[in-house]
Amino acid sequence: MLLARVEGHVVAVRKHPSLEGWRLVVCQPIDAQGRPEGTPQVAIDALGAGLHQQVVISSDGAAARRAVGDEKSPVRWLIIGVVDERVPGERL
Amino acid sequence: MKLGRVIGRVTLSRAVPALEGGRFLVVSPMGRDQYSQGLRGPWRPGPDPSLVVYDNLGGAVDQVIGYVEGREAAQPFDRPTPVDAINVALADELFYRPWTG
Repeated sequence: MLLARVEGHVVAVRKHPSLEGWRLVVCQPIDAQGRPEGTPQVAIDALGAGLHQQVVISSDGAAARRAVGDEKSPVRWLIIGVVDERVPGERL
Repeated sequence: MKLGRVIGRVTLSRAVPALEGGRFLVVSPMGRDQYSQGLRGPWRPGPDPSLVVYDNLGGAVDQVIGYVEGREAAQPFDRPTPVDAINVALADELFYRPWTG
């Protein structure tokens, strides 16, 4: 699982059928200070994460396949939560 | 998935049976800077080395695709297939607003 910040989304007409109807969100992994770290990942999102919101993404393919309801889906990354606080008591 | 730019194609005259007839693309992964450059117009390759991606969507050279790496890439196949990267989306639009602090 990675801490990441939402920085955009991708639109694709031609895609694996299991991705139909899913938001494809650009998630930039960040470090503890919120600085970008590494390459952006595109994750599916069922939570409606907003632009520049911090999220946690998971690469659990089995969970992602359950989410899209297709055992033969190649989907891997999904947003599993939207971050409220990184330091207890300090809301983002 | 990650986004990458298709920079070439590979054809295999001999391949393991599961992959015969398959289409393969050479893809240069997009880094943070490449996202800012957008899908169209001039671009520079990103920091990560290129890779070969199995393709059944019909990706073309210069196009940006979304590809999945790892065990999940073989998931769509009916039989065990030695594939660890697969094209899952042809990117039409990229909306990207990097956070500046």
